Amino acid sequence: MHTLYFKIAIRYLLKNKLYSFINILGLAIGVASFILIMVYVNYERSYDTFEGSENVYRVYMDALEGDVFEASDAQTANLIGPTLKQEFPEVIEQVRLYRFDKVTFKYDGKVIEESRGSLADETYFEVFNYPLLKGDKQNALKEPNTIVLTESFAKKIFGDRDPIKNTLSGFYAGKKVVLTVTGVLKDIPENTHMKTNFLISFDTYGNWFASEEEKKLNWGHCNFFTYLKVDKNADKTLLKSKVIASDFEDDEDERYNIEPLEEIHLYSNKPYEAEANGSISRIKFLTAIAFIVLLLSWLNYINLSTTKSLERAKEVGVRKVAGAQRLQLILQSLTESIVLNGIAIIIAIILTISMLSLYNNFTGKELVIHTSTITQLLPIIGFIVIGVVLAGLYPAILLSGYSPSKALKGKIRTSASGLNIRKGLIVLQFLATIVLLIGTIVITKQIDFMQKQPIGAELNQTISFHGEFLNNITDSLARRKCKILATELQKFPFVYGTARAQTYPGDGYDNLSSFIGIKYPNGTEESKKVFYNYTADSNYLDVLDIQFLAGNNFIDNPKGESNAIIINEACMREMEIFNPDDAINKTVSFFGREWVISGVIENYHHFGLKKGVHPLVILHGNSSNNLLVKFDNTVASTLGYNKAIAQIEEKWKQILPQRTFGYTFLDKKFEAQYNDDKQFGAAFRMFTLLAIFIAALGLFGLTSYTCIQRKKEIGIRKVNGASIFKILKLLNIDFIKWVGIAFIIAIPVAWYTMNSWLENFALKTNLSWWIFVLAGIMALGITLLTVSWQSFIAANGNPVDVLRDE
Amino acid sequence: MLLQLKNISKWVHSGGQKVFLLKDINFWVNEGDFISIMGPSGSGKSTLLNIIGMLDDFNEGEYTFLEEKVHSLKEKHRANLYKQYIGFVFQAYHLIDELTVKENLEMPLLYKKHNASERKSLVADMLDRFNIVGKKDLFPSQLSGGQQQLVGVARALIASPKLILADEPTGNLNSKQGEEIMEIFTQLNKDGVTIIQVTHSEKNMAYGSRVINLLDGKIE
Repeated sequence: MHTLYFKIAIRYLLKNKLYSFINILGLAIGVASFILIMVYVNYERSYDTFEGSENVYRVYMDALEGDVFEASDAQTANLIGPTLKQEFPEVIEQVRLYRFDKVTFKYDGKVIEESRGSLADETYFEVFNYPLLKGDKQNALKEPNTIVLTESFAKKIFGDRDPIKNTLSGFYAGKKVVLTVTGVLKDIPENTHMKTNFLISFDTYGNWFASEEEKKLNWGHCNFFTYLKVDKNADKTLLKSKVIASDFEDDEDERYNIEPLEEIHLYSNKPYEAEANGSISRIKFLTAIAFIVLLLSWLNYINLSTTKSLERAKEVGVRKVAGAQRLQLILQSLTESIVLNGIAIIIAIILTISMLSLYNNFTGKELVIHTSTITQLLPIIGFIVIGVVLAGLYPAILLSGYSPSKALKGKIRTSASGLNIRKGLIVLQFLATIVLLIGTIVITKQIDFMQKQPIGAELNQTISFHGEFLNNITDSLARRKCKILATELQKFPFVYGTARAQTYPGDGYDNLSSFIGIKYPNGTEESKKVFYNYTADSNYLDVLDIQFLAGNNFIDNPKGESNAIIINEACMREMEIFNPDDAINKTVSFFGREWVISGVIENYHHFGLKKGVHPLVILHGNSSNNLLVKFDNTVASTLGYNKAIAQIEEKWKQILPQRTFGYTFLDKKFEAQYNDDKQFGAAFRMFTLLAIFIAALGLFGLTSYTCIQRKKEIGIRKVNGASIFKILKLLNIDFIKWVGIAFIIAIPVAWYTMNSWLENFALKTNLSWWIFVLAGIMALGITLLTVSWQSFIAANGNPVDVLRDE
Repeated sequence: MLLQLKNISKWVHSGGQKVFLLKDINFWVNEGDFISIMGPSGSGKSTLLNIIGMLDDFNEGEYTFLEEKVHSLKEKHRANLYKQYIGFVFQAYHLIDELTVKENLEMPLLYKKHNASERKSLVADMLDRFNIVGKKDLFPSQLSGGQQQLVGVARALIASPKLILADEPTGNLNSKQGEEIMEIFTQLNKDGVTIIQVTHSEKNMAYGSRVINLLDGKIE
């Protein structure tokens, strides 16, 4: 009996090809979008999960900003971990990680640079329960000068040789160390905020690059990520409040705090994070879109199948007369809905799998549906199944309820309540569409705004050259050599200018220093406010074309350094100076010495426009970190960047034979800060388009329904002299009304949501009135186009054909 | 006696007034009757047929079918009653477009819970009896009107009903096809099946044994 249901369902789908195509397409797009987004969302939510990860917490620092504490540093002093373990019994273990920005390894003539790694306490494996393939967890990181590698990184260095007990050299900050491999880690999954390819024992720190002061346990050097393993039965909220209340450092303006490891990726966005984290608001937005797109496709399905149910009234009548009971008819109708949805889901899964690789490129993630993620996907699958049944049930109940004598006479008309439900569905579809449209416009506008906003520095044609010294070279020698190189490069005709600097705009926190504790020119001692600082030479501000508000650049001298500083406007205001000219030649003290302000520069954006401008101090000095080269305007059209860079590399190898060679385009790196937002914007746009497409399909269905319903009315009106335009107006006016209602509801919803999204940005675009009007006009335009297509056909029909039927 | 209608009335409200579709109908049908219901458009013929077929309700009166009081039966019980004893033939055939001839014939049996082998043999009998074995795998749209109505009649008969209700069965057919269908009805009637047909045609009326004339919802 049920095989017959299937047979009919399939024949019916084949017979009504356009209807089936529209319906299956809408559902497949909806389901595929939903699965794709949810796979991504699941991935984002799966960060830092392993056995026992729910009991791991990270320690971070809060600092007073005005009257409230705000997270000020994801990294902590080296003393806090051991202190917390000692003071609080619920802290079972602690581990400190010193995160490298990049270590250069040398083995057997091979040079490999790797940024994913840390110095780690020997307790690492107590806290991070990652499997060790070789070596033992107790002792792997116990001795100084030992290193643990991941399987694939070990292979990269050692090939097929057994890495255990092998030695390799590591270079960092111009210092060399010889390391013995004591363990091989199974590759750590990508979904962790602390991407790790190697771990070097903590005790190596003292033998390697730590200063005398850094070797000691202290509260001063906040360069360590600290993680705690907490007793699983402990009251974690209580522990948090105990940590907050503790005052080991005797400092009222700063305090320690803890956060769950699993929440770092989505909830934490503090200065000095290990990597740019995800964002819970993005995840929420995407989840909302996923549900909206899926619901739209089901609403669509309901609309289309109720539309079609009119044509099937006769069949229902025949079946009832032949003795079918209501339940049997419902089951049959449900079977059809399941067949149709089933085909759509199969297509959706094929679509999902084939699009996953595209999506991976798109988001820079490595998403795969593992068998293990299937269990995570169970709620999603469950949701889809329930949705399919519910979406099938409404048309089924509607259809099976027709009275046979009326159905057979073709007298079925939908009840007013049925029509109201459909109108409600349509308004809901429009509502979602308009909100998504507004969202898309706002996001596009914000990204555009950020890209067009002057950052206060000119990064075009400027490249940073950098590398690691592969010999033990003194700082001063390194700096001197860099200076020679800079002078040499200056001789190239295609070089506009060179500068040496510790960091540059768009470089983030990686090479940026900061300090607390300063005495202002007016004598005020400030001990709370964080000031960022870096070193640069006298060419730096010229090369980047950063504008002065007052004063002058550093004056070059043979030593290349002086006690002159240049501050930004934010810093000046922090010092309670309001006229830039007043700041010049004033003395401030920090780092235990006095400095003279030689210039005040405009606030340029060091971090990109997502973050605000912070007080910044530029010190006059030599740096070997980055050699900035600004190319001549003509280089791209004459020599080309590749050749120019090759010539520079040649010079580099002559003067710095022991230094690796690397380079970064400044403008590209600055732009890269917006990659996440751009990807989010692109994803949002894509799914909005799909949602609009689905909504348009639904509209198409509903219009054809209305046209069938009002066929006779149209015929009579035409016979009595109505023009095509009048008929079009008659048919379209309802839809325009619905768009209007949806628009009115959509405005506050969209305003509220987008306002909260813009809160993520320090500099935000306006939610101008035209955004809403544009979205409204677009929705109306799409509606009229879709609707008019059908109603034009209806209005153009020969009334005689229609009236003869009656 | 197969069925009896006593003082049956059916009305609708239109503009605050009761409009009678059927008023005070009294008649009975014996097993083996061949009755023609006649009357002009709007006289209530189809409504009466639908009430007899239990597809429509009535507002007043009593309807007894094989000793069962239809007016006091529950919906489900009533459905079982007509499923078991009544077959319908329609002017527009009302075959299901997505089903083949064979499947159309099989459909009523599915709802009457016959098992597969029973269904198979009953369908085969019927195909044979109406000489449409060669058409069993065709869809309705591939048949002529006369052939479609043949299938319609066969479907009505497949569960061996006691009563066939036919609403202008030849209305969409040409005269030759119409005659064939009426011949079949005559033969069925001889075999003991009771037939009630609604018709406009004097010629079709002549096949029946008794005529009920309706005018404005009343029997004349």
